[in-house]
Amino acid sequence: MSHRISDLSSFNAAHAAGLRKLMPGVPRIAIGMGTCGMGNGAEAVYHAFADHIHNLGLGFHLTRTGCFGFCAEEPLVNVLLPGQPLVVLRRIQASDVPALLDHLAAGRIPAELALCKIEEWDHITATIKYAAGQPEIPHWYDVPFFTGQKKIVLRNCGIISPIEIEEYIAVGGYQALYKVLIDSSPEAVIEQLKAAKLRGRGGAGYQTGLKWEMLRKAQAERKFLISNADEGDPGAYMNRNEIEGDPHSMLEGMIIAGYVTGSTEGILYVRAEYPLAVHRLQHAMDQARDYGLLGKNILGRGFNFDISLVEGAGAFVCGEETALIRSLEGRAGRPTPRPPYPAEKGLWGYPTNINNVETWYNVAPIVVKGAAWFTETGSPKSPGTKVFSLVGKVQNTGLVEMPLGTPLKTFVYDIGGGATHGKAVKAVQTGGPSGGTIPQEMFDTPVDYETLAQLGSIMGSGGMVVMDEDNCMVDVARYFVEFTHSESCGKCTPCRAGLDQALRILNRFTHGVATDGDLDTLDELSRMIRDMSLCGLGQSAPNPVLTSMRHFRREFEDHVRAHRCRAGVCEDLALSPCENSCPLHMNIPRFLQLLKEDRLEEAFLSVVLDNPLPASTGRVCQHPCDNRCRRSAIDDAVNMREVHRFIADSIYGTPRYEPLIEQVLARKLPPTGCKIAIVGAGPAGLSCAYYCALLGHDVTVYENNAEAGGMLRYALPNYRLPIEVIEHELELIRRLGVSFIFNTTVGRDISLNELDAAHDAVFLSIGTWKESWVYLAGTELRGVLHALPFLEAVNKDETTQLGRKVAVIGGGNAAIDSARTALRLGADVTIVYRRERKDMPAIREETEAAEAEGARIVFLAAPHRIVDDGSGGIQAIECVKTTLGEFDRSGRRRPVPTDEILRIACDTVILAVGETVDLDFVKASGLRLKEGGTMLEVDRHTLLTSRPNFYAGGDLITGASNVSNAMGWGKKAARTIDQALMDEFRWPRIWPEFKHSMTVPAHPSTARRHHNRELDPAKRAATFAETTFPLAPVEAMEETCRCLRCDIRADH
Amino acid sequence: MTFAPSLPAHLSREDQEFLDQLISEQQDRPGMLLTVLERIQERQPEKYLPAPMLDYLARRTGIPESRIYNVVTFYALFNLKPQGRHTVCICRGTACHTRGSMRLLESVRLQLGLREDEDEGSADKLTATTPDGAVTVRTVACFGQCALAPVAEVDHHVLGHVNERALQREVEQLIR
Repeated sequence: MSHRISDLSSFNAAHAAGLRKLMPGVPRIAIGMGTCGMGNGAEAVYHAFADHIHNLGLGFHLTRTGCFGFCAEEPLVNVLLPGQPLVVLRRIQASDVPALLDHLAAGRIPAELALCKIEEWDHITATIKYAAGQPEIPHWYDVPFFTGQKKIVLRNCGIISPIEIEEYIAVGGYQALYKVLIDSSPEAVIEQLKAAKLRGRGGAGYQTGLKWEMLRKAQAERKFLISNADEGDPGAYMNRNEIEGDPHSMLEGMIIAGYVTGSTEGILYVRAEYPLAVHRLQHAMDQARDYGLLGKNILGRGFNFDISLVEGAGAFVCGEETALIRSLEGRAGRPTPRPPYPAEKGLWGYPTNINNVETWYNVAPIVVKGAAWFTETGSPKSPGTKVFSLVGKVQNTGLVEMPLGTPLKTFVYDIGGGATHGKAVKAVQTGGPSGGTIPQEMFDTPVDYETLAQLGSIMGSGGMVVMDEDNCMVDVARYFVEFTHSESCGKCTPCRAGLDQALRILNRFTHGVATDGDLDTLDELSRMIRDMSLCGLGQSAPNPVLTSMRHFRREFEDHVRAHRCRAGVCEDLALSPCENSCPLHMNIPRFLQLLKEDRLEEAFLSVVLDNPLPASTGRVCQHPCDNRCRRSAIDDAVNMREVHRFIADSIYGTPRYEPLIEQVLARKLPPTGCKIAIVGAGPAGLSCAYYCALLGHDVTVYENNAEAGGMLRYALPNYRLPIEVIEHELELIRRLGVSFIFNTTVGRDISLNELDAAHDAVFLSIGTWKESWVYLAGTELRGVLHALPFLEAVNKDETTQLGRKVAVIGGGNAAIDSARTALRLGADVTIVYRRERKDMPAIREETEAAEAEGARIVFLAAPHRIVDDGSGGIQAIECVKTTLGEFDRSGRRRPVPTDEILRIACDTVILAVGETVDLDFVKASGLRLKEGGTMLEVDRHTLLTSRPNFYAGGDLITGASNVSNAMGWGKKAARTIDQALMDEFRWPRIWPEFKHSMTVPAHPSTARRHHNRELDPAKRAATFAETTFPLAPVEAMEETCRCLRCDIRADH
Repeated sequence: MTFAPSLPAHLSREDQEFLDQLISEQQDRPGMLLTVLERIQERQPEKYLPAPMLDYLARRTGIPESRIYNVVTFYALFNLKPQGRHTVCICRGTACHTRGSMRLLESVRLQLGLREDEDEGSADKLTATTPDGAVTVRTVACFGQCALAPVAEVDHHVLGHVNERALQREVEQLIR
């Protein structure tokens, strides 16, 4: 039977047939079967539905559709029950199907499986109204991923079946073509496109109407139209989903263009890597021919136009139009200079017009709705929408169609939901290998052709890859240059040879052998390639390098000067991911392996030479190593902190201690005669002192307290870190010859000038002991305590003003320590934190322990005022409930106050809202401050302050941080001070050679991560004694066997 | 130009007929050479372009052999060597790269004992086959499966959000 449409009645018949399929009057189930759905198991879901529907004899209409955009939630399944809204179910697996069908057969839709509902859908060329209902399921536009999206290009994707031409016709498809052929005024269509200011969606943004006009005016016996679907930009897949979900929209756009420009033939150039897209297009073209919409005598109007399909064979450069044409001519895809432009001399010398896939999708809507409607959306210079593939390190990945001019932060945070796993977003890469990276500080940037170009990037075809703190921008630049280098066609020298040189230089960076001069060379070379290359590939290839160097210069410098890749990506700059993330850069795989080989003493030596306070950090470290451990890709990170605690605890206080200490002392280098003063005996100062002493210097530590340890001794509660542990560790430092002068405040008892005169170098590490100022009514009341003085008083067994009902304000470690300490003093404790649980800076295990011990935590509440009891004491604290607003610079949602006031009855308020540097000291020192004036300025690589021979580290230069970070600064300062004093790099001499296995374990232990045991919470909360016990020997041993030994490389 | 090329000794009659028909079907169409080469490779069980067939193609169409080889070596899709019975393909697209696809590649290489210096091709397309011809490991510039990154394909079956262990298990199944 012929389906040919030749008049209005046959057109209407197809339309009606399509509507019957779209809204069949029986339940309709459509499985999202784009490649993304299939990759998540959609095929099995489809077959499960087919089998069960058949077996149960249900008369359901089962079909398939394309991707609705939210790829992270695939497989998506659309369900339409008669008289109900269209409901999109998410993450449906084959095993869900039987139960789901039971529900559907009974007319129920399980709301817990629903992503959203659609009561009315604007297909642009038509509107489909479904019923209202299902109040418990959100409207599609209320789901954050879709909020603000405007689906013009993706108008049919995920709704209609891509293999049913009648469904396309039912939602207004081929209506524009019909109109254009009936009106038979090609010039009017071109004028309409020009008025709509539709710009090419492939990246360059040239006006489509102008291009069509040129082709129309060209005189030749053959004219070609080409659709460029050679989507070779890695990280972008818009075109694939557009074609897979709605192939007819592209065909309609091309057929209209064929008529308007007087072309004779159309060619689809599709990547061979997209087999499903190829298949869907071929099927769609067969159907279109069958319906008289393609081929001879289209719609009975005497217009002939046919389209053929060519599969591109994998060459990025063929995205360039002249290269694509060469490829179609049967040659290698090497570009030719323009002019002549393809509109004059294209394929085989005939006039040719090439448009990107997405451009064609905009044609029918403009024809049907008009130019004025189109320009309502987007920005004045760039009207309309653009589809982006939002991927990389965001929670919600998928295809997003937004008006042009939407700010980047809307994409990353509102739609994408921010970074995954609580990490911080660092940048967005747009435009793929031709684009650039845009740093988080610039996320207000509107996304359109001009603005992105100003930032050195491009919009490109719409790739948007989000990067977080674990991505190295040098590596990303190198990655793209490696790509363009291998994709360069080789025709012109700047691109071929220039990119080769650029890649060599970038490799030097990632291998840690680059010099400062390489930065300048790379910059100059990149500009040269950009300015002198023949085609778009070469001209844009340096963009990733130039933008990364502009926005992330520090990362490049770190690779050169500090040989560090903070993201831990460049493997040659790190021993292993754990070592790289450790502020002390401990050789973690080494001590794990030594313990695994049952060589406890050597394991201790390895640990204590890397970290002078291992029993302390073994208890209180924030363990950043866990976040980077590759074992966590399999199950959980190796419990490295607890293993080094186990090693330290197994030695301290045993007969093994003394001979090992002798071994450490034996590592001390001969006396240098240099005198070094260290100000502050906290973790930073102690670490610096330890290493300076090991390096043979004469070290004196000045401390204003009566004993050493700083925060370790005075701020960390005893149940977390018993005082005996600190004493053991201090003994080693004393025995290395470090002298301590206590009860002496630098700046008051001894001046900086006096220190300078008596020493060769001075290291300042006075930490942050000042409480941050809080603007809060009632802080003068009796019963308001600050966290650090409170903790210090408890540690010193002094009395405090703690009452019975305590409110702790804050979410950091000091807040949790205060809360758990107050619990142990018998108080009832409520913690008030203004953000959400996941935003708390405190160590997660500590927060959980506090809750288990009986502390309540009120989230999303900001203190408003402390209420007077009438006699100078406290009766309550009032907090304003907050909701989460926009994302701030830290990538966390900003708490926004509401009208709701929460009153918490209490007699004590502990403020734990942060600590700052003692500004009086800093100002009096005459040393230069950082911008903002709250921290000392130092050279990032040497830690030298503005005064010669004065170095600084720890909280003094970073603001309040934690023990391990402070120790890392102290260790680094010792290294740079020694190098400056001795004019040679003596650092490695501290360590003896450890001989241990360097073979990757063939069968790493399959045991899960071991956690340390604790007393149960009720018993814990009754004592200040340590209640968290070290791993048992067999558990520590098993942890060592879980290590994958990332420190061993195949090339070693 | 019509001439009857002498039949190369190592080209079967069946192959010859296949080529003759393919060429006549594609003659003068845009992208003819690409399409012909793609179909030839597709038809080979070992997914490559045998030299005798290219030789015949040149003679039959009059396209210089130099140009055919120019095209074959230019595009990443074409192989001049037989491919393994199984294929493990690792996506090296940007999204996959940021989510650690390089490690996947290294781990599968290690598992199959393939060394880096045995690779052929360049960054966008690495390919290496085990000596017994069982498995070819290759990379692709981008599958366009970015939302599932990192992605690998084992015998054209897509694995989304794949980790080293999951991939190792899949590869174990192949070589068992």
